[in-house]
Amino acid sequence: MIDNVYLSDISRGILKENPIFRLVLGMCPTLAITVLVKNGLGMGLAVIAVLTCSNVVVSSLRRYIPEQVRIPCYIVIIATFVTIIEMVLQAFVPALYDALGVFVPLIVVNCIILGRAEAFAGKQPVLRSLFDGIGSGLGFTLGLLVLSLVREVFGNGTLLAETKMAVQLFGANFEPMRIFAQPAGAFIVLGLLLALTNIVFKRLQID
Amino acid sequence: MRDLTRLVLTLVAVTVAAAVLLGGVDLITAPAIAARQEEDYRNALEEYFPGLDEYKTEECGEDSFDLVYDAGGELLGVMASASVQGYDDIISYNLALDCEGVVLGLRIVEHSETQGVGDVIEKPEFQDQFVGKSCADPFQIGDDVDTVSGATISTEAMIDSLRRLLDAAAESVLNLEKSEPVDIAAVPDGTYRGSGKGYAGKIEVEVTVKGGKITAIEIGKNEEKITYLAEAAELVRPQIIDGQTLEVEIDTETGATESAAGIIGAVESALKKGLKAGGKK
Repeated sequence: MIDNVYLSDISRGILKENPIFRLVLGMCPTLAITVLVKNGLGMGLAVIAVLTCSNVVVSSLRRYIPEQVRIPCYIVIIATFVTIIEMVLQAFVPALYDALGVFVPLIVVNCIILGRAEAFAGKQPVLRSLFDGIGSGLGFTLGLLVLSLVREVFGNGTLLAETKMAVQLFGANFEPMRIFAQPAGAFIVLGLLLALTNIVFKRLQID
Repeated sequence: MRDLTRLVLTLVAVTVAAAVLLGGVDLITAPAIAARQEEDYRNALEEYFPGLDEYKTEECGEDSFDLVYDAGGELLGVMASASVQGYDDIISYNLALDCEGVVLGLRIVEHSETQGVGDVIEKPEFQDQFVGKSCADPFQIGDDVDTVSGATISTEAMIDSLRRLLDAAAESVLNLEKSEPVDIAAVPDGTYRGSGKGYAGKIEVEVTVKGGKITAIEIGKNEEKITYLAEAAELVRPQIIDGQTLEVEIDTETGATESAAGIIGAVESALKKGLKAGGKK
């Protein structure tokens, strides 16, 4: 379908191997933060940055890292980037840091990053790993956005709350369905969305 | 053996490179972060104390107090900084007080309470209730201050810490009488409820005042051991009613001391409420 190998690396991360809906990796931050679209977007952007950087570094070091110690090396590389991003955010983009402060360290243990390092970047050339990182990051962000959109609309009754474009969707008397903002609601919404993507993918025979 | 050396060397190289990189980034970002926090704090100070010129820091145990002066060297108030264990982690906050020890505002500096639950401590719906209160207020949960349901641990921790910090500020920095003895004669007639902290938990009392005198103290809901409580009541009640004072001797050998202190605290809070209510029940 797509000839260019780099484009297909990107599209694979978004569709066929979407981290959230297809690989079901990185569920911990996914479930925890998708209360508001703003959080989902911020987390997604941070993951794109870390994933791309770590993929490139892991891939360029793949010949030098012995197989037996690859996992600790990957973890150190990922943790380093996460910490750098946290410090840079705190110093220069305080607004985003305030919104994401609690979640950024969580990226270290986000399986999708270690997953891509292990499954792709550790074996493939640098440029392809770069695009794989961007693609998987975008796919992860897309998943977070869908999930947080559903949860925000039902659980909070707003759209883009806590941003300048905040919209109150329903009247003042609307009592939002708080369950959607709770952890249990995260599981319910994720389950439904997983089922939905499974149906769609089956119909379109993408697998 | 050569393999092992290679493994070790790789790991060392990776970690050293990471450390160097992090150190470098920290060199660049640390001053920016510190400057930003300083600026945030300065902005907060200016918001609460317009006309601020300079401030002097006084450390006092774990708390620190910044005494804020205007250009003429007049004391405008105090910005107190403290921290408390919340639900997830340490909550650190600032509390702005005027010269009389009255709360101007509360500012959460750092916390990691649950998003959407415990982070209510950052929101006006929780914070606004403290504005205008001082160490003369009883600060009793359920009476004059409230926790937020669902976030009881976070909010209760904040309230306890605020009560302590207010007292500390009044005593050590503002040099106010920590708790002026309540002027019983000024309390209008009526029956007032109050609560205090005993050994096992809250003790509620009902105090009846008539003609500027305490005439009865009834002990209500509590979680104390009945024997200790009875003993404490027997010890405290006659002393308060006969002497018309809260300065009573509560040292006992039997372990009822804390219950007794709880009753006295409860009576005090009831009387303060009576004073505030100004005759209303």
